[in-house]
Amino acid sequence: MMLLAGTFPDSDLPLTVAEVRVQDGSLVIDGRLLPCMQGTGAMMGAALAVTEYLKLDPPHAIVAGDIGQGKGSRAIYEYLIQNVKTLAPEVLVLHYWLPDMELTRRLCQAVDQCETRPVMVADAASMYSAKAAGMAPSFDIFTPDATEMAFLADPDATHPAYIARHLFDTDITQTPGLVETAYANRSAAKLLLVKGAIDYVVRNGEIVATIDDPDVPVLEAIGGTGDTITGLVSAFVYAGLEPHHAAIIAARANRMAGQFAAATPAHKIGHVIDQFPAVFGQYLCQWSGVCCTGTEGEHDD
Amino acid sequence: MGLLRQKKQPAFKGSGLVIFADVQEALKAEKVLREGDYGVKLVAPPPALRKGCDLAIEMNLVEQFGIERLFREKDVAYIDIVPVDAASSVLLDVVKATDYGQWVMVKAANMKVVYDKATGVIVNTSGGGCPDIPYLHAQLVDKRLSEAPSPKEIGYTLCALMLHRALEECLLLWHRGEQS
Repeated sequence: MMLLAGTFPDSDLPLTVAEVRVQDGSLVIDGRLLPCMQGTGAMMGAALAVTEYLKLDPPHAIVAGDIGQGKGSRAIYEYLIQNVKTLAPEVLVLHYWLPDMELTRRLCQAVDQCETRPVMVADAASMYSAKAAGMAPSFDIFTPDATEMAFLADPDATHPAYIARHLFDTDITQTPGLVETAYANRSAAKLLLVKGAIDYVVRNGEIVATIDDPDVPVLEAIGGTGDTITGLVSAFVYAGLEPHHAAIIAARANRMAGQFAAATPAHKIGHVIDQFPAVFGQYLCQWSGVCCTGTEGEHDD
Repeated sequence: MGLLRQKKQPAFKGSGLVIFADVQEALKAEKVLREGDYGVKLVAPPPALRKGCDLAIEMNLVEQFGIERLFREKDVAYIDIVPVDAASSVLLDVVKATDYGQWVMVKAANMKVVYDKATGVIVNTSGGGCPDIPYLHAQLVDKRLSEAPSPKEIGYTLCALMLHRALEECLLLWHRGEQS
């Protein structure tokens, strides 16, 4: 099972644990329609694009409403801490929530009790709390952007709002130096997919790939384009690809979807997500060897 | 596409820290103190007191008595006032703007706001990872810069505070563009 956890900006949404599907461009979780908008919604929308295309089991979601006060976030943390061993996910994706270092430590301890350790993916504030709590090495994949990479490299910062100015002033080409620092400080996951004008795929401190084609600079301006990368890489890992291979394909697919969408800074993330089936149809077999034949999905990585 | 400018805000250095239970209360306190003409600065609490998304206020310790009285009058809840810890961090004070032709993107730390140069309408917000950010995205997008709600007023987290700074810079650039 792939388990996707995060908050939605709906105060009336209770803690909900259910399979997630997509219907007419919206997510459906336990009968509720939720938007594929910036945040957890975009991440889930992209993950579903992969699982539907490859005809994999749909992901399960743990969601709760939270507009910043933290109640929904804490409900998700506590549910996961109590139940992750029983749920036994193969891939566990942590996304938008209020960062809480103590609850993150407890969650990592709970994951340590799983009979088979899930592939642990974190982005957004889940990545912030993992780094701030000193738990980054317990994670398999982080998907930071250039600023968040600077945050991971800053030993004192507990949130990107506090990164040192000289680190914020660096651009994406400085990523190799920031990566080296982050790994030296034990502030990085085993694999990093650093999103920017150049995407860097880093495995245990070594840059194993860079992706800069197609060049679609407006993607940075569209809310949710980082979230979709997280959903893509997680779902490709769930499909059986090695994490670094999944990261490379996720970066390529996100860029290509932006190009297919003829994206402008005014486009919304749903317009990009809508392009994924066409991108996969045209490129996925070529990129990955994950080739759909009729009703059966297969992969040979 | 090109980099437009960077901005640095004037520095304030205090000797004490006010500690709060959450970011929203810290933002409320900052507003109260600024309205009361106190010199203050938003900073991170000392490491031992941090949870992950925290904010403290740096103030002059000699003003503690007056500040405590003002907090009582304005119903501001705070945990403690302590001397500045050398290890406390300062909020990033730099913003960057990128010109996309018809649109401008302004970035403050991890948060970005994009507006249409011709209409002044916010077309996107991005970045961040705290739970109020998708909420603020829904509240701000498709609104004019001058009519958009303040992330500082309706948000709760450090991401919201950075989004507020980006929005403030958008307004400055927008007004400058209108006058030129």
